[in-house]
Amino acid sequence: MTLGLFWGWIMLENLFFAGLVAWFAGATLPLISISSDSKTFRRISLGIYAIASLLLADVSLFAAYKNITIAITIYKILPQIQFSFMLDRLSALFVLMISVVSLCASIYSVGYVEHGHHKVRKNLLVSLMGFFILSMILVVSSANTFAFIFFWETMSLSSFFLVMYEYEKKETRKAGIFYFAMTQLSTVFLITAFVVLYAINGSFDIRHTAFADPSLLTAVFLLLFVGFSIKAGVIPFHKWLPYAHPASPSNISALMSGLMIKVAIYGMMRFLLFALAPELWWGILVLSAGIISAILGVIYAMKENDLKRLLAYSSIENIGVVLVGLGLYLIFSQSGLPSLAILGLAGALFHAFNHAIFKSLLFLTSGSVVYSTGTRNIEEMGGLVHRMPFTAISFFIGALSISALPPLSGFVGEFLIFQSFLDSHALADPMLRLLMVTCLSSFALTSALAAACFVKAFGAVFLAVPRTENAQKAHEVPKSMIAGPIILAALCVVLGIFSRQIFKSLGFSIDSPDLFFIGVFLIASYALTFAVLRAASSGKVRISETWGCGIISQNGRMEYTASGFAQPLVRMLKAIYRTEERSERKFFDSQSSIFKEGKAEMRLMQFFEEYIYMPIARAVNTASKAVAHLQTGSLDDYIAYTFVAVVVLLLVVGWII
Amino acid sequence: MEFLVEGWINVLLALVLISGAFIVTRRDLLALVSTYSIQSFLISAVALSLYLIEKHNVLLYLAILTVASKSLLIPYFIRTIQRKMRIRRDLEFHYITPIISIFVTLILTLVAYICLSKALTASSAQNDFYLGAVLGVSLALMGMMVIFSRRKVITKIVGYLMMENGVLLFGMFLTELPFIVEAMIVIDLIILVLIAAILAVGMDASIEEFQARLNVAHKWFTQEKEDDEI
Repeated sequence: MTLGLFWGWIMLENLFFAGLVAWFAGATLPLISISSDSKTFRRISLGIYAIASLLLADVSLFAAYKNITIAITIYKILPQIQFSFMLDRLSALFVLMISVVSLCASIYSVGYVEHGHHKVRKNLLVSLMGFFILSMILVVSSANTFAFIFFWETMSLSSFFLVMYEYEKKETRKAGIFYFAMTQLSTVFLITAFVVLYAINGSFDIRHTAFADPSLLTAVFLLLFVGFSIKAGVIPFHKWLPYAHPASPSNISALMSGLMIKVAIYGMMRFLLFALAPELWWGILVLSAGIISAILGVIYAMKENDLKRLLAYSSIENIGVVLVGLGLYLIFSQSGLPSLAILGLAGALFHAFNHAIFKSLLFLTSGSVVYSTGTRNIEEMGGLVHRMPFTAISFFIGALSISALPPLSGFVGEFLIFQSFLDSHALADPMLRLLMVTCLSSFALTSALAAACFVKAFGAVFLAVPRTENAQKAHEVPKSMIAGPIILAALCVVLGIFSRQIFKSLGFSIDSPDLFFIGVFLIASYALTFAVLRAASSGKVRISETWGCGIISQNGRMEYTASGFAQPLVRMLKAIYRTEERSERKFFDSQSSIFKEGKAEMRLMQFFEEYIYMPIARAVNTASKAVAHLQTGSLDDYIAYTFVAVVVLLLVVGWII
Repeated sequence: MEFLVEGWINVLLALVLISGAFIVTRRDLLALVSTYSIQSFLISAVALSLYLIEKHNVLLYLAILTVASKSLLIPYFIRTIQRKMRIRRDLEFHYITPIISIFVTLILTLVAYICLSKALTASSAQNDFYLGAVLGVSLALMGMMVIFSRRKVITKIVGYLMMENGVLLFGMFLTELPFIVEAMIVIDLIILVLIAAILAVGMDASIEEFQARLNVAHKWFTQEKEDDEI
């Protein structure tokens, strides 16, 4: 009996519920001691986060592995409207992703949050971080659209407050407001879509597939696609990302970039895979959006010198990669090629998971770098590999993984997508095949540029000699800020090497290379080469300096800068960056031969901001001003408006009936 | 008998409409209040006539309440306020002058009649005199027009009261407003007029001048209080 009770309690539903409760408790704890600067409370709270993450990771791993569905209902407001949750395989995968990343982010935060100066703000940071993660978990496990939109909003709100952490800076306020406007816009689209869905099938259930009227499904798809794209940062809805991610604290940018944009991807997958009936052109739309985001994202990342903004653009690129996989799934499944479709979907899911891991790794380590050097500008860094070795190694593994180098995890997802692309000659429609080839070539370019981008990032931040005094004085961060990223870095390696085994254990027979074997082979060949060279060399050590163009002292000014590295590409892709060059020269003489002084500047125009966002903002502003004229402050005017409204209402009543 | 009463009600309603038009156009403040008093009396007569047909006790209570509050008590209060004021006539207007407003009233009544006759015949065919409901809506709209087109606070109050009369009329003919709601509205009105009476010293001209006068009144009140204490 006792044993039965025990097993009854230990049931997965209860474990899942316990995990949620633990998150909630952990998040409320710092609020209790909000005005006291108690390290202990924050640490206990972060510890609870870590334990809850482990618990939820276990539950979701089990659910995903065994392919079982967990369903719980927490609170019923009305028969149709209730907070109920379920974990099927898709949800479990995302809950696992969130749990793993938040485990590491919680460990990292133990050290990171303490470097602030405002005690209330530090407590709020910890608390809101908990609510933010809890909301994300609840969004991806929502069983109905009501719960989905509710927690979607709590997620948006808590992340908005987190972005505003350093609200006294003008830049942060701009980022926060921008983010808030965009995220609310996304909610507008989602709510509209959900209302239309409800009108079609009379149910809030997220998996409901019986449609009374399928003609509106296209509208639902477009609404959902735009709504989720805004949140995921798909170009051209991406503009909030490069503002909000650098402005927020680094542990939060890791969560936002690693997880929150994946929640939007989850939403897209949930509805496309389970609720709606996709058509071929939906797939083409998703694929095109993905390719555009991937290529433009990485091109923008290439020229960026703000470390965190570079990572934000890189997130846009990776979201593009995931969308490409999803688009391929839709196209192939509509063209009767299920095996290729599964390949694309597996690639998308695996890449989404891996991106969560290595992007949070990169954001956390770059947070450590910013913490130590006090700047986000990579031109002012350099030589940090000697000063922060552990951070450097973690960042390096993340950079390798994001550049899709075997045998790390980033390689596998992109490989599957490539595989799916390469087999697309099986498609019957020649135009579709042409599209596939075009997309494939752009996609290949993306991968190459991503590698170049991270060569630039790693090289300029960690290698060579420091360029500024701040970088010179940098030192390794506290232990917890090393431990969190190290776990993620280890995961990058493990997920890459054992990818084939992982797919197999989940029951997918996917033709991916056995990276374990390749990894062993690579290591063996490196070791062999090293041993041969070592044996063959004379053993003499010669220490000399690199030739510095004849300049005697070699310092940071002699180095290849990040801008210099990106320069050829910036010049080649001038049309995309829309660079504007201006130069002014003054001379001593009238023949313009003796140079006096000059000024040259190169400005990168922000295409989307100047041609899409600002015109809309200006139009809204004009409309608001026109509406604001109505507010005169005179009571008579207001009553006159009411009068007019009533008369109009009367006319409408007379007109309709 | 019923036929006679229906005809009688129609006559009363026509009189109510005339009184409404009178309020919209008159500038003499005292006449406005008297007209309001008469209008309320006419409405209570309508309620009484309806009682003869429908035999609902509520209508009887309504008639009594209306006469007591709207044609006696509230006009009494307003006259008290007016006695304290220097101004007897309304000279400033917003948007529309009285001459135009009488035309607007005509159009409004017509619009309400056309629109509502369509709506009401479609929804409830058994109710024959929607004329009452139409007049109720028109009266409410006319009251609103008075509120936003006149500057003097007293006129605005009369406009508000006329609006309420319109609502009452509409309720009597169409929706059967529960008695408790009607009673509450009357209490609201009395409180409104009372507050107006208290503030009257500062408000005898218009809202724009109110602030300055309120300060003076405040001093006056506090002085009086001090005098009492002495």
